[in-house]
Amino acid sequence: MPETPGVSRRAVLGGTLATGAVAALGASAGTARAAGTSAPGRAPGQQTMVNVPFDVYPTVRIGVIGLGNRGSGMTDSWAAVPGAVVRAVCDIRPDRAKNKADALERAGRPRPLEFGGSRESYQEMLRRDDIDLVYIASPWEFHFEHGHTALLSGKHVLVELPIATELSQLWDLVDASERNRRHLMLSENCSYGRNELAMLKMAHDGVFGEITNGHGGYLHDLRALLFDVNYYTDSWRRLWHTRSTASFYPMHGLAPIAAAMDINRGDRMVTLSATASAPKGLADYRARFMPDDHPSWGETYINGDRITCMIETADGRLIRAEHDVSSARPYSRINSLAGSRGLFEDYAGGGATGARVYVEPLHSGDAFQDFTQLRDEYDHWLWKKIGDDAEHNGGHGGMDWVLQWRIIQLMRTGQVPDFDVYDSAAWCSPVPLSVMSLADKGRPVQMPDFTRGRWSGVRLGLDSRESEMPPVG
Amino acid sequence: MSLSRRSFTLAGAAAAVLPAQSLLAAPARADGTVTVSVPEIDLAGPRVATVPITVRNGGARQLRDLSVTFTGPVGWVVEPELVRLKGSLAAGATATASFELLVPEPRPGLRLITFTATASYAGGDGAGQATGSRTVRLGDPLPDLAAAYNNVGVTDESNPAPGNYDGDGNSFSAQKLADVGIVPGGPVLALGARLIWPDVAPGSRNNVACGSQAIALSGSGSRLVFLGSGVGNSAVGTAEVFYTDGSSSRGTFGFPNWSFQNVTDFGATQIAAANGRNLPGGYGNEGIAYSVFAHSVPLTAGKTAEVVVLPGNGGIHVFALAIAP
Repeated sequence: MPETPGVSRRAVLGGTLATGAVAALGASAGTARAAGTSAPGRAPGQQTMVNVPFDVYPTVRIGVIGLGNRGSGMTDSWAAVPGAVVRAVCDIRPDRAKNKADALERAGRPRPLEFGGSRESYQEMLRRDDIDLVYIASPWEFHFEHGHTALLSGKHVLVELPIATELSQLWDLVDASERNRRHLMLSENCSYGRNELAMLKMAHDGVFGEITNGHGGYLHDLRALLFDVNYYTDSWRRLWHTRSTASFYPMHGLAPIAAAMDINRGDRMVTLSATASAPKGLADYRARFMPDDHPSWGETYINGDRITCMIETADGRLIRAEHDVSSARPYSRINSLAGSRGLFEDYAGGGATGARVYVEPLHSGDAFQDFTQLRDEYDHWLWKKIGDDAEHNGGHGGMDWVLQWRIIQLMRTGQVPDFDVYDSAAWCSPVPLSVMSLADKGRPVQMPDFTRGRWSGVRLGLDSRESEMPPVG
Repeated sequence: MSLSRRSFTLAGAAAAVLPAQSLLAAPARADGTVTVSVPEIDLAGPRVATVPITVRNGGARQLRDLSVTFTGPVGWVVEPELVRLKGSLAAGATATASFELLVPEPRPGLRLITFTATASYAGGDGAGQATGSRTVRLGDPLPDLAAAYNNVGVTDESNPAPGNYDGDGNSFSAQKLADVGIVPGGPVLALGARLIWPDVAPGSRNNVACGSQAIALSGSGSRLVFLGSGVGNSAVGTAEVFYTDGSSSRGTFGFPNWSFQNVTDFGATQIAAANGRNLPGGYGNEGIAYSVFAHSVPLTAGKTAEVVVLPGNGGIHVFALAIAP
């Protein structure tokens, strides 16, 4: 294994981060090594949240922070999950909160409380004691603040990607979850993708033999949306591309691969090295399509179009996590898993699943086979049970609905979450770690063990046992 | 306590270390050998099973430096990889090493799952190593070969698109097979057996690319005959037949490639040869023979066959099987 430089977990992801991180590495490499590789200690009495079940909530009362495109759509489906009630909605723009409350009422749902009008409005909502779960869909830069405060207020939390953008924040969320005995989870809908879950079950059944490598990512041409003046409020997402060179959003592809490798359930990610291509896509798009008076003129895009993170695990596996939202290309999360006896490749075209597979002894002749039959054989119980509902109720091919239904079911039945704050922090850690690696010319950096040593025990996760949603009323 | 194999790897420290002396059961009479026992395991997954492996020192001497490994089927998650037990084990005493196993959800069909535990040690019986295993028969076999069909091997010349016999989208032509007497539901006499060609329409799944599927059988005879042909150039493997009395027998058979190998390779018998084949775009390769073969494995005389586990080689494609008197 190559020598890895130490980096401080207090390094930040901000406007001057790239050069700042370089300076920090140069100045304090000798002492940063320990800080980057060791977990901070727990406070007295603070205990792990590994395998901690939810309390039983007969009805799950939800508060929503952020009612933009994502938050608004998800709020509608939260209200449709059996046993869930949207108790409150909050957005810095009060008209959004009112419009969503009106819409839910028109749909026959209980009218939620409205919060908004200032950046602090969410705090007022979190002071209420009739909210069990806070769903956060604000811009990235507010995720940590909103999620951390929600934990401190005693709520369980589901945060859109990423839960935080700095290592120090990730640790603070882990600590806040442990101290407040509340779960915080990444709202990773792709963990519940039908292909992803079947791939996971096949991995556990040894279909691929010993797993050796996996590849995932988020390859989504967002150029039109990034330059749309309305889609991302105040163009928050495009502006991230002016601040830093980082893998901002690799989680959709990384999380399913991590699950199939039992990361934090027998293995863990130990080092990350990143590479970045030149930033060309956004400037090129702007030059071709944006009018002279578009607010983006004057912006300089510094984030590489293709950020690649190579991750090594303690068990010697390799993960490649890609990020590219600024190039002309069809959508892909890559989603590929390989082992000693075969491999699975999603987004390969053909067949009803869009995936292909080649596994011995079932297949031979070096020819990929359609995935349909194996997916049927390894279809996850969640999709068998609610797949039809998912295709009618939820976005993103039904993944959103499966995620939301499952979170509510876990809380109503008092089960251990399928993934937790440790998984969420691990999946999001490539955001700051890619910055650190890129700032050091791609050298590997250590990845924290957010579980503080609990990563090696076998435990169930997304490959869960079937259970029922309790009846309502 | 029990450290994980990954912690072991990372830290370079000891693997899971258990104090053997504290785990001693009542000493029993030494009977000469060290034995390793794998317990029954609840395989109703997905679940995490704790598996206690018992090592008994039946040797005359004290046993020391004991370490234990435990494995299940390839790819199944087991932690830790190795448990090292501290102290020594007196003659006749036992020690236990615990492992955690992630049991996957059972698949349809019968599976034979073998767990193996190995103890390495000094002293004891002097052998240095002892192994115990447990094979579990899980689930029921598929009721017949049709239930295992996973490949479309024959298509109509007017619609070859569903075919994918060889992984490249090619398939037998239904018309050309009919020309040589092979039709859906029709009999095929081979190696003393009367087999029935799959009674399904062209373009449907009608054969099994072998992957260790377990198929129910019924009857007695001299041999089990397989009808099929090969994809690739190494379509050979071992089938295992289980009998109603719990015994089993094994036999190896193979098929030549459906076109390019010698028709007697692997000891197979050519049954029919179709002229040309269906390509993804339509009928083609006229003048080239695409063959169906028969081969067999012996059955144990006087026993009633109950299950056959097909070879673990996807290059072997089977259209039919039957017991020959």
